[in-house]
Amino acid sequence: MYPDDLRYTAEHEWVRSPGEADGSVRIGITHFAQEQLGDIVYVQLPAVGDEVTAGGVCGELESTKSVSELFAPVTGTVVARNEELDAAPEQVNSDPYGAGWMIEIVPADTGAVDQLLSADEYRSQVEG
Amino acid sequence: MSTDDLAKTSLYDRHVALGAKFAGFGGWSMPLQYSGVVDEHTAVRERVGLFDVSHLGKASVTGPGARAFVDSCLTNSLEKIGPGQAQYTLCCDESGGVVDDLIVYLRADDDLLLVPNAANNAEVVRRLAAAAPGGVEVRDRHRDYAVLAVQGPGSDEVLTALGLPTGHPYMSFTETAHDGVPLVVCRTGYTGERGYELLVPWDDAATVWDALLAAGAGHGIVPAGLGARDTLRTEMGYPLHGQDLSLDISPVQARAGWAVGWSKPAFWGRDALLAEKAAGPARRLQGIKARGRGIPRPGMTVTAGGEPAGTVTSGTFSPTLKQGIGLALLPPDIAEGSEVQVDVRGRAETFEVVRPPFVRPSTKGS
Repeated sequence: MYPDDLRYTAEHEWVRSPGEADGSVRIGITHFAQEQLGDIVYVQLPAVGDEVTAGGVCGELESTKSVSELFAPVTGTVVARNEELDAAPEQVNSDPYGAGWMIEIVPADTGAVDQLLSADEYRSQVEG
Repeated sequence: MSTDDLAKTSLYDRHVALGAKFAGFGGWSMPLQYSGVVDEHTAVRERVGLFDVSHLGKASVTGPGARAFVDSCLTNSLEKIGPGQAQYTLCCDESGGVVDDLIVYLRADDDLLLVPNAANNAEVVRRLAAAAPGGVEVRDRHRDYAVLAVQGPGSDEVLTALGLPTGHPYMSFTETAHDGVPLVVCRTGYTGERGYELLVPWDDAATVWDALLAAGAGHGIVPAGLGARDTLRTEMGYPLHGQDLSLDISPVQARAGWAVGWSKPAFWGRDALLAEKAAGPARRLQGIKARGRGIPRPGMTVTAGGEPAGTVTSGTFSPTLKQGIGLALLPPDIAEGSEVQVDVRGRAETFEVVRPPFVRPSTKGS
């Protein structure tokens, strides 16, 4: 449920390094987050070229019953967004670490990702 | 309110075993969803779903003159129905505000069963008991009956498999038994689909729940929670008390005037409601449907021509239409077909004003 090769945040995002775009990391939300949200029906993501700040709100996830914010795990520039989520937001529920990815960011500080939670640390947070 | 303070239905352990997520509603810990809201919603529209709605209130009014007494209090006219029929009605206060909306089951002239909302049962009982004449007894029976709703085009097959009666007219009920358990089988619901609501003795609910799930297995039955119940009723434009009807939102404003017996000599709120009807309501409950990706939520502000016009009272994503839908209180001069904006967390999203239902109901077919 929480792949060991990813990094995590306390706000339930995951970060995969490297991403597909040059120098980028890929970002999505965790299995725990998608389960808490329920059926996701709308994903609003930042535009390519946007600057995002670690811990800052950079998007919005809306489910049948509630809305939650997407936080940027690291500071950097958005270089890709998963355009498929516009038509198929349910991919976040069905495949949160694969087809349900959200954005790719080129971090301002390449070491920032290593400061995030390991899978073990995140797992102990959500499974308490 | 902590989880410990919430009441539990007699099916709580069943819901836990089915992996339900729970939410507090009207003072009860209720299953919000099992497999997921969209999945359960679709099952009810296309096959059949089973809901535990035992949180709903129950009260009996019995004794000589019980029917005439209730008819003089609640808004709808009990002259329109006979024994064996149920009716949607409203309990108003003298100012015309809605204390609750409820279903009345007319068993006999001296025996009525009321099904108010969970949070309002005690208040409806209190008001009726305070007004009841000698010989008419009003009793709170909240925990005497569980309520199971079997909803969807496959509901007849599921009930038939259990040997239960089906096919009686919309809003009528039959008293029967299953394995020695007495049941009231009513052709009612809150989903817009053909379906039934079963009143079951509280302690026998698990037996009947298990039997319905087993009988429905071949018909694609799924347990469904309050999340799907809310998206289903919103697609129908059915009001939810506390959101679309309240002490501050009268039946004239909520366009529930069809549930008011206007020619009756007496019912609570009569003078105020007749005056409001004659003058025309200051605001009306309208449907709104998204032109884009916006999903309205209760409390959001509606604007027209840049000016604040009203408030969203109910709103959700419609799993059937795959777009945002809602109900909103709007000035009467905003007509169907016009465009309004809803402030969705700082974004102005465009909606069309429409007349509900958003999805064609199939409750009444024979």
